[in-house]
Amino acid sequence: MFAAKATKSNTKLRYGVKGKQLRFFDAQGVDELVSIAMTLAQELWVVKERLATVEAAAAKKGVILGDEVEGLQFTPEQRATLDAEKKAYIDRVFFTLREQAEALEGDADDEPPPPAMP
Amino acid sequence: MSENINHDLKVDHTRDERARQHFVSGMRSYVLNDLAGNLRTLYGNKVEPAFERSQGRKPADGPEVHKAMKGETLFKYYSSLRCNTQEMVWRSVLPAVERESDDLAARATKLHQSNSGARGTLTMDGSVQVPRYLEALDVHLMPGSYHEQHRDADVSQGAVYDNGLSVFAMGLLGPNMDDITQSVSTFFAARYPNFKPKKILDMGCTIGHSTLAWKDRYPDAEVHGIDVAAPCVRYGHARAQSYGVEAHFHQKDAEFTSFPDESFDVIYSCMFLHEVPGKNIRNILKEAKRMLKPGGVMLHYELPPNKLMSAYDGFYLDWDAFYNKEPFYKGFRDMDPADECATAGFKNDQFFNFVVPSMSFYGKDAVLKEVSQAKAEGDSNVGRFADGVRWFTFGAWKN
Repeated sequence: MFAAKATKSNTKLRYGVKGKQLRFFDAQGVDELVSIAMTLAQELWVVKERLATVEAAAAKKGVILGDEVEGLQFTPEQRATLDAEKKAYIDRVFFTLREQAEALEGDADDEPPPPAMP
Repeated sequence: MSENINHDLKVDHTRDERARQHFVSGMRSYVLNDLAGNLRTLYGNKVEPAFERSQGRKPADGPEVHKAMKGETLFKYYSSLRCNTQEMVWRSVLPAVERESDDLAARATKLHQSNSGARGTLTMDGSVQVPRYLEALDVHLMPGSYHEQHRDADVSQGAVYDNGLSVFAMGLLGPNMDDITQSVSTFFAARYPNFKPKKILDMGCTIGHSTLAWKDRYPDAEVHGIDVAAPCVRYGHARAQSYGVEAHFHQKDAEFTSFPDESFDVIYSCMFLHEVPGKNIRNILKEAKRMLKPGGVMLHYELPPNKLMSAYDGFYLDWDAFYNKEPFYKGFRDMDPADECATAGFKNDQFFNFVVPSMSFYGKDAVLKEVSQAKAEGDSNVGRFADGVRWFTFGAWKN
């Protein structure tokens, strides 16, 4: 195998999707807010995964080195734990969506109504 | 994850880039398993009963379900999160491919010229035009799609697709991301043990995942892959060379291949036809018939037709046509594969279709167990890219 070299290319690729942008929400700006929230959620995950890496590296040698963090391989057990934490984390961030569906299950129709609104 | 790519066109993602990919895969799994389940619950508990109350009947087809669902906040969030996640798939791999794109072109060129291992060939044809229906959009919300070229001898979009697909797949496509064709070809070879193809063509092969799977199944066969997208064809050949697998890649349009009449025993495509408008699909099926030897077989892994599915499952699968830059997807799913094979000149009694369990999800024994009984029956797992997926295939023998 050739080593994959992290060289810097002069070539530029395209990051944005061309053409008509998809819109789902009636209120202006909500689609963008969803995208922003998704990216924030992603970046928080990046921090959490890096922290887990640092902790694993520290535990392994007692000394934290930049290269060690970059190159560290989790054991399958550590990876499995992290994956489980990731799933739980996503579930927490987007809890409101699960709640909407679950709220309809079972005896939802039997709920006593609140007093009439003033 | 893209860190699992195990050939010489592998690119180095930083740790944070890998973490972004992990998030995207996890998010996709959440949307396609958990949130999709919530959506189905919402439909059963609220949307379908409301429709029945107002219309005195259940929704008859996918479009009626879609119309009833599209105002629901949960559907809007499902769609919005799915689109965002899809775009994040590609954005999570683009930086590493961009950093290494010049080096990737050099590595691919070296592999094209390598005589040390496999002797597969690469035939580029600059006169091949990317069809307007493909050129005009970023298929699957992938910036640059399959074909955009950013430099000479460019393989970047092939690399974006390979790396992106491994994030997209959530592990469902197996270690080499070829589970569909591994499953389908394993089933096919077991069902027809006396059929020994000498020459196999994979149409719309992109970077050759399926092409090489056929070589696994029939090592003595000569295997060819064609695609209009130059970066993918180059990447596919270099990837095959890196694996030491002899396969021949050509830049060609499946409608006009210029291969001789009666030159292939198997003509296959995987997830290809639904990206193509109906009239071009008909041309492709006719071209396949022309190229097939008598006694040969055409088969296509595809999304199941709407006629096999319930109204809700039809709606669920057709989502991509509306929201994932795959505008021909629904038109294809509304077609009847048997009718289309007949229109292309195949005899009615030579048509077949079947549904195969995913080999990487259910195991090889489950695939082999289906050999004597598999037929095409629609249920919510068929063609639905999530845990428990089963693959639909149709085709016809030429005699």
